[in-house]
Amino acid sequence: MHLNQFNHIIISIVLVCIINSSSAQIIERFPKPDFKSDYTRPQTITPEARAAHLEYLDVFVLIITLSLASYFALKLRSRKHIFLLMVFSVIYFGFWREGCICSIGAIQNVTLAMFDPTYSIPLTAVLFFAIPLIFTLFFGRTFCAAVCPLGAVQDLVIVKHINVSNWLAELLSILPYIYLGLAVLFAANSAGFIICQYDPFVGFFRFGATFNMIILGLSLLLLGTVIARPYCRFLCPYGVLLNWMSRLSRRHVTITPTECTNCRLCEESCPFGAINKADEGVLAESKNSDIRRLAIIIVLTPIIILLSGWVVSYLHDTLSQKHPSVSLAEEIQLENRGKRTETTLETRTFRASGKPSEELFEEAKEIQKRFRMGGWFLGGFLGFIFSIKLIKLSIRKKQPEYAADTGTCFSCARCFAFCPFEQERIASLHRTSILNEF
Amino acid sequence: MNFKTKNKKSLIWYQVVKRIALVAAVFAVIVSILLLANYIQTKSIDPLNSQALNHLMLELQKDPENTALKEQIRALDLLARKAYFTNKWQIRTGGFLLFVSIVILIFSLKYLNSFRSKLPDLEQDLSAETSWESKIIARRSITYSGLVLFALALISGFLWESELTPSESTPDHSLRYPTLEQIRQNWPSFRGPEGNGIAYQSGFPVEWNGNTGKNIIWKTEIPKPGFNSPIIWDKKLFISGADQNSQVVYCIDTRSGKFLWQTELNDLPGSSVERPKVTKDTGYAAPTMTTNGTYVYVIFATGDIACLDFDGNRIWAKNLGAPKNHYGHSSSLIMHKNLLLVQFDHNASKQLIALQANTGNEAYKTTRDVQISWASPILVNTTDRAEIILNSNPFVISYNPENGQELWRIKCMDGEVAPSPAYADGMVFVVNDYARLAAIRLGSPPELTWEYDEDLSEVPSPVATSELLIMASSYGTVSCFSSKNGEKYWVHEFDEGFYSSPILVDTLIYLMDMSGIMQIFKVAKEFQMVGQAALGEQAMTIPAFMDAHIYIRGEKNLYCIGKQDG
Repeated sequence: MHLNQFNHIIISIVLVCIINSSSAQIIERFPKPDFKSDYTRPQTITPEARAAHLEYLDVFVLIITLSLASYFALKLRSRKHIFLLMVFSVIYFGFWREGCICSIGAIQNVTLAMFDPTYSIPLTAVLFFAIPLIFTLFFGRTFCAAVCPLGAVQDLVIVKHINVSNWLAELLSILPYIYLGLAVLFAANSAGFIICQYDPFVGFFRFGATFNMIILGLSLLLLGTVIARPYCRFLCPYGVLLNWMSRLSRRHVTITPTECTNCRLCEESCPFGAINKADEGVLAESKNSDIRRLAIIIVLTPIIILLSGWVVSYLHDTLSQKHPSVSLAEEIQLENRGKRTETTLETRTFRASGKPSEELFEEAKEIQKRFRMGGWFLGGFLGFIFSIKLIKLSIRKKQPEYAADTGTCFSCARCFAFCPFEQERIASLHRTSILNEF
Repeated sequence: MNFKTKNKKSLIWYQVVKRIALVAAVFAVIVSILLLANYIQTKSIDPLNSQALNHLMLELQKDPENTALKEQIRALDLLARKAYFTNKWQIRTGGFLLFVSIVILIFSLKYLNSFRSKLPDLEQDLSAETSWESKIIARRSITYSGLVLFALALISGFLWESELTPSESTPDHSLRYPTLEQIRQNWPSFRGPEGNGIAYQSGFPVEWNGNTGKNIIWKTEIPKPGFNSPIIWDKKLFISGADQNSQVVYCIDTRSGKFLWQTELNDLPGSSVERPKVTKDTGYAAPTMTTNGTYVYVIFATGDIACLDFDGNRIWAKNLGAPKNHYGHSSSLIMHKNLLLVQFDHNASKQLIALQANTGNEAYKTTRDVQISWASPILVNTTDRAEIILNSNPFVISYNPENGQELWRIKCMDGEVAPSPAYADGMVFVVNDYARLAAIRLGSPPELTWEYDEDLSEVPSPVATSELLIMASSYGTVSCFSSKNGEKYWVHEFDEGFYSSPILVDTLIYLMDMSGIMQIFKVAKEFQMVGQAALGEQAMTIPAFMDAHIYIRGEKNLYCIGKQDG
């Protein structure tokens, strides 16, 4: 109980930090000298795009690491190898490639390509988006185990995990769906790539970020020492897709190499709460009330979807503020209506461009309309997720033995060592290798 | 801790790592505090807006050629930049040290944690939170959270009002403009309020001398040339200056004559690199600016038109197309409500353009079938309606300033028109050299009441009262007529000709001749000289009258004239 309270306090503090740091975007500018001198300013240089062969090298490395991760988790069942691969991924995809390109952010490239025909999506972005999903479909979330640098860096800092209550974990697991929905909505309307803007760890990988982003990243890493992989579990939008794929996967890691005797030794081994405990499904309430509740939720589902769609579409003005044109149009209109006397650099630049304000307002209104439509889809999607969660939580399921949850298990291989049959397997392998030496 | 199975070596390592962890933790805390302090300092101090630097910048504005001052500013600026970037370096380095110390701390703690037992406590009560119970709690928490989110979203959507949505409850502040009373308390455009050559204040001096300094309150040299006249709102005076290289708007404190700011308006979007040809006596900054008390507006011979706020910030700027005419663009700007009205005549087309004052967007554009006119429009407020009247060859045309629709026209002009119209008591007076002086009575339809064809004006605009009309000419004659029937009361010949126009101030006419001498005489049926006051340099512009002071732009200097004590 004490642990749970402590756990909640930590989560609250960190969430406040995260919200504070993410809401206040700082644009650091230092004006040029406003007097003339003989000094000629160097021309602004745009860095050249990464060479194509190096981009394909990234894809090649991705495939290799995914293959190795799957092999280590499913065949070799080795935490040590997974750990080493994780270190490699942090170095290569994190510090070397500076967190870009990443599969999580690629969601937005793919979305934008689907909605904006003028956007030419790089093939590598498509591959980075699709390959981990394909691997997950066959082997479970081995991408999360050792390939994703964001997951790996969080995994490396776990000191002593404390368990998040199941109900809280279920509640927080809705956040990734909201994040995913918003990311898709913004990307589809060319309003920005929020996943990249609020990537908490890219600042570390690049040794440079705004103060707020550093605070956000540090908060998550500090939280991650006790609440394992908080970003992966309660924020990662790509994790939603991986979760779906993993549930359909052909093969998945198992705690035990042979059979489970419900010895409970593995019970506390997973820092991510991804082990489904054996449950005989004892009835606390009558079966009829269970069925009635389930029926009500199922009947209410279309209403929840419609209501959520309506509410989020109602937020189209607020959400569309993220789009630079809408934001600029609002600022121009604020100035025009005399509600704000201070002009901004953006409004002054726009006015100096000579483009008629009406044109901007029309463009902004069109974008707002698109956000209204998008809001219906986003709200409907979230309403559906809420309903599915409620339905899932209303079904009593028998769990005959301890098993890794196919959706949320990161295939990190931590739990293997806790299984006596695994120990037996390792000992047997050891004996065999000694005999072979003789 | 489970040391029973650990050997002595492990115990030593445990102690070492424990100390490393402690040192790393203390180090991380110290670095964090320093970083935070550094960050707060960076945020709270704006190095480039230091009082010292701003003071020096103001000094430089007054004395732009002061090389020592420039060097001092550069040194201070460089110091500020060095301090800023050093601070940035400290934050970056501190961040790196913090990162390293945290990594060491975490791995030390991980190592220390490996000594702890990892096996679960199998005696722990399993029934504390069964799977089903936690599902019930989860279901409730998801339901309540969903409802809270739903409510928050509704409230947020309800409270958020997009500025792009027209709202009946929100008044449209874009329509705010000064009242006629406010306009008449200031000097907001060419030839004063409404461009009619009438000052609505009194108590102005009638004698001064620019050479001896008598009644000269201050005198300020204007860096760039321009034939535009000063405009004033409250305590701020605005004039423009331009040459082939650059265009500048100056704001001057009417109390001290000091420059408050100057804003260059070069390289506007759409502006041609090649400057149009202008004559020497028109120049690149002949049109007078105008203001609505919130923003000031300027147009140059290049067709560049801009709106600045009272602090010199550019609100909007655009190019209307380089006006090609054989003297250079000279028609001044004027405002009606929230519209900036531009008489934009050039070879290709002659237009009356109205721009939204706050945005610069075009409200309307009316093409005029007349010859190029160098005159400026005046605003006339009859009891029935507002009219904007333009003098041009061959028509004098009145438009509705709200939409640019023509209200009436009378064919009575000829030649290259420069004098602007005058208005008093339902009568409009127009004049041009080699054409006529014509009096038009407004009505349905307006009619030409009387006309006169001697001593006509080539440049100066006439001024009228309900009784009398005063007309000056570039040949040095000043004529006085009955406004009602055109009866000539007197003609007086001065030694110098006039390009400036007569301004009616109370019962007096102030009329500046080309040599810079202000001729001051009574508005009466008989010519009665009141005084002559020399500026000390040539002047072609229209003086501004406000708060008992007269502001005159000479060829090089701007003068403030007022009654000095003693």
